[in-house]
Amino acid sequence: MTGPNRRTLLKQGGAMLGLAAASGVIGTPLIAQTRTLRVGSYGGYFENSFKEHVFPAFTAATGITVESVTQPNSSDWLVTMQQATAAGSVPTDISLYARDTMIKASRLGGLIKPLDLSKIPGASNLDPYFVFDGGQGPLGVGAMSWFTSMVINPTEVTEAPASWAEFWDTSKYESSLGLSKNFNALFLDITAATFFDGEATFASDEGILAVIAKVAELKPNVALWWSAESQMEQAMKNGDVIGGQYYLDVSNLMASDGFPIKPIFPKEGNPQDYGSWCLAAISDKDAEAAEFMNFSSDPATQALMSRKIGTAPLIAKEKTDLTDDEFAFVSGSPSIKPAYEAYLDKETFIKEAWDKMVAGV
Amino acid sequence: MTVAAQIGPMAEVPPALRWGAVVNLLLWAIALLLCLVPFGLVLLISFGHKVEGAGWDWAFSSENYLRFFVGANWPAETTSLYLGQLYWSMRYAVVAAVLAVVTALPFTYLMTRQSRRAQARWLVFLLATLSLSEVFIVMGWDIILSNNSGLPMLFAASGVTDWLKDTGWFDVLRDWGLANPRNVKFKTSEFATVLTLSYLVWPYAVILLYPALSRLDPSLAEAARTMGARPWTVARTVILPAVRLPLMGTTLLLFVFLLGAYVAITVFADPSQHTTAVSIYENVRGSTLNAPFGAAQSVVLLVAAGAFLVLGQRLSRKSQGGA
Repeated sequence: MTGPNRRTLLKQGGAMLGLAAASGVIGTPLIAQTRTLRVGSYGGYFENSFKEHVFPAFTAATGITVESVTQPNSSDWLVTMQQATAAGSVPTDISLYARDTMIKASRLGGLIKPLDLSKIPGASNLDPYFVFDGGQGPLGVGAMSWFTSMVINPTEVTEAPASWAEFWDTSKYESSLGLSKNFNALFLDITAATFFDGEATFASDEGILAVIAKVAELKPNVALWWSAESQMEQAMKNGDVIGGQYYLDVSNLMASDGFPIKPIFPKEGNPQDYGSWCLAAISDKDAEAAEFMNFSSDPATQALMSRKIGTAPLIAKEKTDLTDDEFAFVSGSPSIKPAYEAYLDKETFIKEAWDKMVAGV
Repeated sequence: MTVAAQIGPMAEVPPALRWGAVVNLLLWAIALLLCLVPFGLVLLISFGHKVEGAGWDWAFSSENYLRFFVGANWPAETTSLYLGQLYWSMRYAVVAAVLAVVTALPFTYLMTRQSRRAQARWLVFLLATLSLSEVFIVMGWDIILSNNSGLPMLFAASGVTDWLKDTGWFDVLRDWGLANPRNVKFKTSEFATVLTLSYLVWPYAVILLYPALSRLDPSLAEAARTMGARPWTVARTVILPAVRLPLMGTTLLLFVFLLGAYVAITVFADPSQHTTAVSIYENVRGSTLNAPFGAAQSVVLLVAAGAFLVLGQRLSRKSQGGA
């Protein structure tokens, strides 16, 4: 009894979404040949920049109208897409997934449609690492990349740390740092790169526990374990914390708005993550999606996103027309590669061990 | 006397009765659909099996319940992480509910002694504040307790911070986690969490206590006063016993309400004092997509809350009997 009821409800929900989608294009001249595509992105400033700069450029180049869909940057979206796929109507054709979420989606199965790379010649601009193949063919084409950076309040911390290890110095940072509370927010990767052998340390349970034990030593210096991005933003603005980990693009935007925050690339570097465009399994917009991914992989578009959204390009700087300053604003080196496989294969183990450490039990 | 007996054996009763039965059936169906079906789903999911690196499958396994009590790595090691979270759920809910009721009681009593007009004004104001969501209230307190915009700024600007540093009290505050080397800090702390939680439910406490206190016959208290009882004695021996039941009921209701608090906990509580509600959300909607474990935690929370309520009712009945 429950199954069918829930399903009809979801279907009605899908129909409502469809209606909303239809009303979205009413404003534009509706001619018979209008081709449309729904593209997901992370809301707020991020999505607005897409709507203002990237989507119009795509429409100008291809004639395909884009309808922007707000989606979260988390596995949350997989639950929504799973339910929507089961109901037969998805809220968006293309979703933007971080690498771990994309791998998870491919393991869940039935959520992402394999792509025909011959229709996306631009993807050859990207490093092959950014075109993900989950064993069922190419599933995602890299869109843009972002760094989780070391940040400091330059008025309080006059001498920028040269290494992440300095954050462990209680005489300088007692109750003063803001770190993410999530086990997979890449602070483990930072610690592994600073004190251990980087990604290789994640190969064994003992290695992971050693890294977590090292983070435990930092606890007296952490004033805020943030779970939402906005918490860290407020804490930096309010002076509740004077340093920590935060997104490079948002930090730079805040700094250019005059707030006391400065992203730093210490000698170990900062973790680099990236997002991929993935086509929903039940979408019939294969052709439009291929054109969009092709457009997104173009050096000009990669440069446009770096300038307007603040994300790092997925192609070599030399292929773009970004100046040194522009590139330094969105990227840096060295970059720490996250231990994606460990986070997925041992997620329960790492999450519980991390949560125990943070809770101090 | 029943309706049927009034009308007599020959009258045509069935239509009315049939309608009554239909309405009754409809109400039951709605209750079933809205309460039992979701709960049944949660219960079913709580027995599911987590697939590492992906989602979860339907199953009939007790692993999630076991994990709640001993952790995922049992028997290699046991952890009280989740029991600790349950403890903090109960602790925050009890402390904040009691604090809200204890402070709302004198306020509501004094309010009922005012003119009808003034009472109405207060009630409308309090009802209006209920439209503020948890997020909004937490944001407000977040600003009030922030370093550059709130109390710590006042402490620094008024010289209290320097005075604390001179007298040595500052180091004590640092030991308590209420200061960093630069200034006092109130986040994250149990103080800020309980304060916000009781603030959140305070209007409910007043509105729930109001009917009982406004029905209280003022002549009782006046009689006691004329017989020479001091105000405190009157409050203790006349007013409190008369409102014991509503007091208990209000506290229990606020307790249940506070068990689900999420925003205030994530913003104001240190992770070592996070609650089951936070953990449930992290598991169901967080990156691990571990809905079965989240569901199992919900069921345990529900059972624990139920046990608390039964205990509370027993206590109030006992005290009622003893009075």
